Amino acid sequence: MFIEYTWLIPVIPLLCFLIVGFLGNKTPQGGGYIAITGAAIATVLAVLVSCEFWTSAAYSDVGYVTQQITWFTLPGGFTLHFGYYIDSLACLTMLFASFIAMLIFVYSLGYMHDEGVRKRRYFGEVSLFLTGMLGLAVSSNFLEMFIFWEIMGLCSYLLIGFWSFNHPDGDAASENAASAAKKAFLVTRLGDVCLMAGLFVLLFAFKTLDYADMFTEEALAAVDPNMIILGSLLIFGGVIGKSAQFPLLDWLPDAMAGPTTVSALIHAATMVKAGVYLTARCFPLFTQCSWILLWVAIIGGVTAFFAATMALNNMNIKKVLAYSTLSQLGYMFLALGAGGYMIALGLEQGNEALIVAGSAGYTAGLLHMVNHAFFKALLFLGSGSVIHSCGTEDMRKMGGLGKKMKITSITMLIGSLSISGFPFFAGFWSKDLIIESVMHASDFGEQTLFLILWFLAIVTAFMTAFYMFRMWFMTFQGVEGVNAHHTHGESPKSMVVPLCILSIFAAGLGFVILFGFDNLISIGENAAGNLQVGSGEGKGFEYITEIFGNVYTWMTIVLVLMAMGIAYLMYSKKTMNPGKFNKNGESRLYHALTMRWWFPQLYDQIAWKLGYGVARGVDFVDKNIIDGTVNGISNAVIGGGEILSKAQTGNVRSYTTVVFGGVVVFFCVILGIFWYMGGL
Amino acid sequence: MNIDPTIISNIFGDFTPIAPMIIMILGALIMPAIYLSSKRRNLVTGAMLAVIIISIIINFVLLVGEYTGTYAELFTYDAFSGLMILLFQTVVFLVALVSAASTETTRLYYGAYSSLLLAATTGMMFVATAGDLLTIFLGVELVSISSYALVAMKRNDPRAAEAAVKYVIIGGISTALTIYGISMLYGVTGTTNIADIATVLSTDGFSWAFGIAMITIIAGYGFKIAAVPFHMWAPDVYEGAATPVSLFLATGSKKMGLVVFFKIFLVLFVAGSAVASFATVEMQYVFAIIAAITMTVGNVVAIAQPNIKRMLAYSSIAQAGYILIVMAVMSEYALTGGLFHMFTHVFMKGGAFLIVGALISVGIGEKISDYRGLAKRAPFVAFAMLLFLFSLAGIPPLAGFTSKFILFSSAIYGDGGVMTQWIWLAFIAILNSAISLYYYARVVKAMYIEKGETTDKIKIPNAFAVAIAICVVFVIILGIYPQLILDFCSNAAAALFA
Repeated sequence: MFIEYTWLIPVIPLLCFLIVGFLGNKTPQGGGYIAITGAAIATVLAVLVSCEFWTSAAYSDVGYVTQQITWFTLPGGFTLHFGYYIDSLACLTMLFASFIAMLIFVYSLGYMHDEGVRKRRYFGEVSLFLTGMLGLAVSSNFLEMFIFWEIMGLCSYLLIGFWSFNHPDGDAASENAASAAKKAFLVTRLGDVCLMAGLFVLLFAFKTLDYADMFTEEALAAVDPNMIILGSLLIFGGVIGKSAQFPLLDWLPDAMAGPTTVSALIHAATMVKAGVYLTARCFPLFTQCSWILLWVAIIGGVTAFFAATMALNNMNIKKVLAYSTLSQLGYMFLALGAGGYMIALGLEQGNEALIVAGSAGYTAGLLHMVNHAFFKALLFLGSGSVIHSCGTEDMRKMGGLGKKMKITSITMLIGSLSISGFPFFAGFWSKDLIIESVMHASDFGEQTLFLILWFLAIVTAFMTAFYMFRMWFMTFQGVEGVNAHHTHGESPKSMVVPLCILSIFAAGLGFVILFGFDNLISIGENAAGNLQVGSGEGKGFEYITEIFGNVYTWMTIVLVLMAMGIAYLMYSKKTMNPGKFNKNGESRLYHALTMRWWFPQLYDQIAWKLGYGVARGVDFVDKNIIDGTVNGISNAVIGGGEILSKAQTGNVRSYTTVVFGGVVVFFCVILGIFWYMGGL
Repeated sequence: MNIDPTIISNIFGDFTPIAPMIIMILGALIMPAIYLSSKRRNLVTGAMLAVIIISIIINFVLLVGEYTGTYAELFTYDAFSGLMILLFQTVVFLVALVSAASTETTRLYYGAYSSLLLAATTGMMFVATAGDLLTIFLGVELVSISSYALVAMKRNDPRAAEAAVKYVIIGGISTALTIYGISMLYGVTGTTNIADIATVLSTDGFSWAFGIAMITIIAGYGFKIAAVPFHMWAPDVYEGAATPVSLFLATGSKKMGLVVFFKIFLVLFVAGSAVASFATVEMQYVFAIIAAITMTVGNVVAIAQPNIKRMLAYSSIAQAGYILIVMAVMSEYALTGGLFHMFTHVFMKGGAFLIVGALISVGIGEKISDYRGLAKRAPFVAFAMLLFLFSLAGIPPLAGFTSKFILFSSAIYGDGGVMTQWIWLAFIAILNSAISLYYYARVVKAMYIEKGETTDKIKIPNAFAVAIAICVVFVIILGIYPQLILDFCSNAAAALFA
């Protein structure tokens, strides 16, 4: 009864965008209340729809509900639709996205308080951003998904560049925001190019882009496997761009130039989660070939590790959190990759047990996506609260804020414990399941590779605990920093309340795994359409014995505690000097980390030297060869025409030369092609 | 819709296939008289619009009624030519609507201006219906010679005269090349009818003389669509001409060149593709390379342009490159996408040129930097410009996205499934489309983010506002409801391939 109204979920924030956009300044808070109301209605609807979906037996048999209208028909009989497709993955995504977005909007009332008339723009754009994410979650086919995907890209560009006009910190910061926005847009567009090409391949391979028709055993069996592989790889290219995975990971830290609330939205509720969502959505395709998922796992593991190293010595509180997002996203892809690898092998060999083991990895990845959404939103909003009160992002200028900002400090501690994987906090459960499924995957082939990935995951867990507590101790403990002196205490209520709500989830959400989360999400009939993969039998409380009966769990816990201890000794008690390990910042490794492993330089080399070089080259040819340098020749060919040569806009004599030059070049090209192809 | 085309054929009899052109020609003849007797530009504009609307109605009835017919075995009206005639009529409608309101168009010779505008459109319409190389040639010449004069007719701007002279010289060369190719083709096959040429060639196969004829004709008409390396005249001429005329050239004249490509090469090579010695595959690669280079050069050079008219000119070159994908793929699906993109391009590029023209008419320059702070000064115009540019860049759910989706996807569709032969072309096209956003975003940034020197409100002439509004409506509707015109496009493609 509510499911028929699913289409309202993205439409309501869209309406809010329009209302705020046109009338925002006539309403209080520049339309802030309208945006919040919209997000709240979307949340309520999402809850109702999810409840109905999860409780009704009629739906759980099929695993999805879909309804669509025809958008347009292409020649060749391809029909493209617009509609909704609700399965457990869609429910999960829209639930956390709408709820967290709502909290972030409430928080924005306080955080963006001083923006004046520009609040209208802010609240309009974040509403559209939310439309993008919710539309993506409920869309019924790949083309519809792509449209919302692009809308989100556009919004991220606008929001990251929100301060490119007049940054509170001056012109340099404005420039920085503008270039960060551009970078985010262009890098993710690079991924979008792949994604769009992938859509074309899938459209013609499957003759449809509707999830319901594509993800059936018959449809998958009928399609040329090579086309599925090609399409899957291209789609994963889009995911790499959007979710900032290796090697396109550098735009996300730069995107910190936007307001902190925007960072929270991008990192927790929308944008980067879209990539995880899409990977999970494409599981029926990806699992047709095991090495695709091997690549997913490798890229995830490598990103998790590299991003964590870059967070180790960063002094900017938001950048540390940005790298931690990259690292945690890496975990999600690692889990999806490892789990999917087992499912793919299981499908190849017809091994039921392997499929069940693999769906555990899938569950772990999705659980981590939800958990991460909560604790990362909490951490970003907490850091926003800190920045709001002491006016800097440099952790060296903070310190000792714990006394002045008690609630922020405690909620941030909960977030840090959760992301570090401290026992019983949300992050612990999902992270442990991820590490376990990677270990599990190593039993079934590619043993060395998965052991290396497992090792990277363990080391990353250690580093995560270290840099998170380094951040927490540097900010809230120890001697008061320069900016900590003149803070005006705790942030306003509109900012603190969302923090408290989020911290409850960040602490306790992990327990859902004991109460049948894997039943809801099991890849079974639900997530993979009609694939009938996995049994969907929830383990419930068995997880406790399974997790704590495992020696590796204890090893991870000990590593995490050790890392927290080291951070405490280094940055709170200060009995251990970090300078001893990095030769006071002189060591090569430290330098490499400061230079972000030279990723920005690499991009600059590629983008500027190569891309700009090509652009300049073409421009040069166009201006000089075609417009200018031929003047000499043309003088010889066609005399006179002095009057015309004074043209401001170009030179006619050279043109006529070029006309024939062009024909000759064209003739040569054609001859070349014919010669190459043996045509004549 | 059930419309009976006999209403029209009862009036026009044997002339029904060329009925829309007859109206246009009559209009072209009457316009100078109206202007000379009244000296009122608005009256002429009104008459012009009336003529165009009558012509549109006639054509629309014929098109929707699925009329087919041939006049004197030279001009064939079918789904394809009907659709293209509609496209040219749309273009000339937009141009005629704003011509009197623009401060750039000629005041003294307005009668001649409107006469030439209608004559040029008639030429385009004849090209759309022609099935013979000579009638195509005559139609193109009618367009070319009229548009040389149109480019020259600009008020108080020496650049226009220069641009016109350049255009004449380049146009003359391209005409010479074309007629040379046509005469060679006649020498080889003994006919100028395209269908007959295809029949002769499919038995005789490919020969050197035929190859050279093809090269010169491609080069000659390559100038009309400004395909690289025959593109260099376009930015100068578009910049120099009055903006409504630039609009006419960029959206109308260029489309006519593409129609010629479809009519001659698509028909010839698709007909000959059954014959191995016909070299269809090689020619596909030739077109694919032209397409790839054209879109890349257009987009890359557009990045460096500070003048918005030049930027739009280069972006038109790039758009022609996209549409040339049709020539590489040579499938009905691709042609459908190409025709659809030609329509959406009229509204998005036309809309952008209209805004440039409107702003010139109220004294704002042609530099992108002149657009700073426009969002504050003219919110409607800035928003419309944003829509047009985003649509050109292919941002969903605007018209440009839908048409690019169909056009680009055609590059990997063949034989009812995925065809990997042209996947690189699709990739280059999508990549180019991503690059293009970079320079469109510069204009958006200037309008919305950068501060202008003044915040005085701007009032653009009403005629421009109406024309822009029409374009906005279609850019949105064709994005959300592409079926409106897509069926016509696929019918047209089927008609050409039949």
